[in-house]
Amino acid sequence: MVVVQVCVGSSCHMKGSYQVIKTFTQLIQVNELEDVVTLKASFCMGRCLTGISVMVNDTPVDNVGFANADQIFYEHILPLAQKEKCGEEA
Amino acid sequence: MEYFIDAAYESLNHYGEELCGDKVEFVRTDKFFLAVLADGLGSGVKANILSTLTSKIIATMMSSGAEITEVVETIASTLPVCSERGLAYSTFSIIKVDHSGHVYTVEFDNPELVYFHNNILSEIPRKTVEIGGKNMFISEFEAENNDMLVVFSDGVVHAGVGRLLDLGWQYDNIVSYIAENIEPDMSPRVLTRKLLGAVNTLYMQKPGDDSTVCSFRLKPNRPATVMVGPPVNADMDKLVVNKLMYSRGIKVVCGGSTSQIVSRVTGKELTVSIDYDNPAIPPTATIPGIDLVTEGVLTLGKCLDIIRSHSQSDADKWDTFSLDKKDGATRLAKVLLEECTEVHFLVGRALNPAHQNPGMPVSLGLKLNLINDLAAELEKTGKKVTVEYF
Repeated sequence: MVVVQVCVGSSCHMKGSYQVIKTFTQLIQVNELEDVVTLKASFCMGRCLTGISVMVNDTPVDNVGFANADQIFYEHILPLAQKEKCGEEA
Repeated sequence: MEYFIDAAYESLNHYGEELCGDKVEFVRTDKFFLAVLADGLGSGVKANILSTLTSKIIATMMSSGAEITEVVETIASTLPVCSERGLAYSTFSIIKVDHSGHVYTVEFDNPELVYFHNNILSEIPRKTVEIGGKNMFISEFEAENNDMLVVFSDGVVHAGVGRLLDLGWQYDNIVSYIAENIEPDMSPRVLTRKLLGAVNTLYMQKPGDDSTVCSFRLKPNRPATVMVGPPVNADMDKLVVNKLMYSRGIKVVCGGSTSQIVSRVTGKELTVSIDYDNPAIPPTATIPGIDLVTEGVLTLGKCLDIIRSHSQSDADKWDTFSLDKKDGATRLAKVLLEECTEVHFLVGRALNPAHQNPGMPVSLGLKLNLINDLAAELEKTGKKVTVEYF
């Protein structure tokens, strides 16, 4: 299971966590990854200065914004999710 | 049962006057609640001075345990004598309610106070006592949960006199108006506004006398403790969290880092909801044993806006449904305004580095101001508010 945590603390909220969560939720549906990706909200992760804080399987991803949320998804989340999916099938 | 006395008052000034000749003073102590409504002779500055002196003297002396005779003597020898009328005069009503529900009232020349038991108009036993050559009504009785008391100045009785109504609104009509309009669970603020709204209409928006309404309702005591912000010194974390966990009543945590501290100290898991009920307000979270967990500054700011707009709106626009939304700010406002009777803030003053970015609408200094504003706004609604800093 790929666990994606998006910070909804004050600072990240101001930068647009809502949009990021919305984009991720849509992309998970479009790519039919509901079974392998868990999207979670989290309060402050203590990484406020590096954009909206996102953690993928406990690895922080920097510089996420609502503008590049889909790009981040395809770069950092989709590969892991696909690997997970293949692993399940095999 | 230990009672909380929910109290509210509002005044309409004599048309064209900047100052009100009626004055209400509230005193809350650990043992009792005391309210004084004083109505100074005339209107404007002179009346304002008379009623302010009267209410302040009564409130101060009574709350330090003085007898009514001493209080009246003090007032009689203190009030300045009016140069036009040659007398010093201010009517007053005193209502003292113990937390056990014991009510003691003294009324001097004000319209008689109205008592509702189970929302039904009830008589109270009054005896006439002469103090310093003046006749006063004194009564003592036991009130119960949800009982309501309403007291008003003579400006209300005279509403509309000489214009819409030849003789004014008159006492009996007012009492039946209250009896018709009172609803179970109606808050004193709503009743006060409703009554005063009617007075203003009868005066055609130009009150011919200062009019004040003051109402009270007995409620079971239910405190809320709100923890906001991490303590400056991390060694204090445990102490503050314990203060919260061992408090009676409703427990609230505001702040992302703060809720993480509570979760760590109590060992209970923090689950942040991913559902936005309102995109402008960060989602809430849950910690077992805590009644409400929200984000910090943004939610508090929004909550303050909600409480302000509630206090400022007219009686007609007053609708409690707007407090039924599920976002963090509205839920917090509901807890603070409706569910609790007193609020204790545990405020941590640690600096959050995240808030030092220019995109943040509020800095730490503003956050502390925010809590002060919130406390002041809640005090206006008659709640006892205490703030403790760490």
